[in-house]
Amino acid sequence: MSVSVLRNSSPSEPRILLAGVLALLVHLIFVAIMIFGLDWKDHPPEGMVVDIWTELPKPIQEPVKTQPPPKQLKPVPEPVKPKPESEPLKPEPPKPEPAKPEPVKSEPVKPAPQKALVESPIKKPDIALKQKPEPLKETKPDLEEQKKKEQEKTKEQERLKELEKQKELEKKKELEKQKELENKKELDKQKELEKQKELEKQKELQKQKEKELAAQQQREREAKAQREAEAQRAAQQAAARNQVTNEISKYKALILAKIKSRIVMPPDLPGNPVAEFNVTLLPGGDILDVRLSKSSGHAVFDNAVERAIFLSKPLPLPSDPALFNEFRNLNITVHYRE
Amino acid sequence: MSTTVTQDMSFLHLISSASLLVQLVMLILVLISLSSWWFIFRKLFVIRYEIKKTDEFEDIFWRGVDLNALHQRIISSRYESGSLERIFAAGFGEFNKHPVGSDLDAVMESTRRAMRATYQREMDYLESHLSFLATVGSVSPYIGLLGTVWGIMNSFRSLSSVTQATIAHVAPGIAEALIATAMGLFAAIPAVVAYNRYASRTDQLATRFESFMEELSNVLQRRAAE
Repeated sequence: MSVSVLRNSSPSEPRILLAGVLALLVHLIFVAIMIFGLDWKDHPPEGMVVDIWTELPKPIQEPVKTQPPPKQLKPVPEPVKPKPESEPLKPEPPKPEPAKPEPVKSEPVKPAPQKALVESPIKKPDIALKQKPEPLKETKPDLEEQKKKEQEKTKEQERLKELEKQKELEKKKELEKQKELENKKELDKQKELEKQKELEKQKELQKQKEKELAAQQQREREAKAQREAEAQRAAQQAAARNQVTNEISKYKALILAKIKSRIVMPPDLPGNPVAEFNVTLLPGGDILDVRLSKSSGHAVFDNAVERAIFLSKPLPLPSDPALFNEFRNLNITVHYRE
Repeated sequence: MSTTVTQDMSFLHLISSASLLVQLVMLILVLISLSSWWFIFRKLFVIRYEIKKTDEFEDIFWRGVDLNALHQRIISSRYESGSLERIFAAGFGEFNKHPVGSDLDAVMESTRRAMRATYQREMDYLESHLSFLATVGSVSPYIGLLGTVWGIMNSFRSLSSVTQATIAHVAPGIAEALIATAMGLFAAIPAVVAYNRYASRTDQLATRFESFMEELSNVLQRRAAE
């Protein structure tokens, strides 16, 4: 009995479920490593594609790169831009001209204060004379004789004084006239000097204008020269492109001719069926892939053309490897009847 | 050309774009790997448990405990007993069944037979599924290789339709085919390691059981002769 019981107890295995969970865990970790660990494989192929083609096309890209140089030449317009700057300079010279009248106006203004200064000393004595006689007249009623005498004396004195004053006034007037003359002379001199200065300024301005004009002309000439150079370059580039396009079209025609020469035309097809093929080339003229992009409707004709394409391997390609990009994917259309 | 080069090369995409047979092989390998890892962990726990129980029982037995009490305790707690305990219980139970005064040789013979029978059963239990691990370790690389060969065959067959062969045409097919080999190796390597380790452990346990059986029969013989 006891033995049979023990027998049954033997399969009671510890932690079966835990073992299953651990096994699942191991696999989940492994799958995660595979998924995230293999992601880097996406990138290297792209690098491969870039490496193959960047080196070969360089010879062509150099003529193509001449397009960027125009970009460098475009800064040339920048020296040309100064023109608008110089043009504003033209209006500027006129501004000094209106400014010239201003100094002229200021000249009369300056003399005006001078005249006022000259006149004011003259007027003040007049007032002083008028005030002084008035107190003298008031003393007359106190002592008539004395007053009379005094008045006479005073009158004489006054007369003398007036004479003296008149003389003084005359002298002053003369002095004033002299001063005025001197002032006028000075003013004239100043005016002349100013006029001379204005003339000099005008001359300088004219010189400046002339210089600016000359500079502008030089800039324009340089710009024109640069434009002409650019035009020449563009023309050269266009010519080079024309040559390239001529070369490309020439070789495409050669390829088509070679393919056509290999076609074994199936006899008696109705109409003029057209088959279009998309041909992928390798450098050297080898054919990587031929795809029928548009069937002619006659499988015989399609097959004949496809066979001819393979037979015409290697296809004629221009010796310049840079032009190969134009031939990598060729669209070839073949007509049944020419 | 550019379309093939820029193909998605991620792990999941490679698996989903593989051919049917390769996918089948991958599925089989995933199941094999899962079950093999399950058995690896199961056997790990079982063998650890047996070694621990054997250590404990030998420690108790050689301390000189009363054999009848030990036998009773083992029978009462039979679901937590180890292999060596069950061998002892089988031998001691058989020994006690014989009436006092019966032929000593016959008693010892039947006791040994009872112990040997339990020992065989216990060894069978300990070694169960080890053969599965051995099979996984030896066969799963071949299954993976089958998937790989099939995938490479397909990728080369697709090359025949292209006139100009490039590595870009073959690479995706080979990559997805090689995943099958990788999975086969992933299943095989731990299975082989586990099989070798567990086989040596169970061998060690077997020698311990056998030597204990000899020692126990000596003890019982001495006890019967008294």
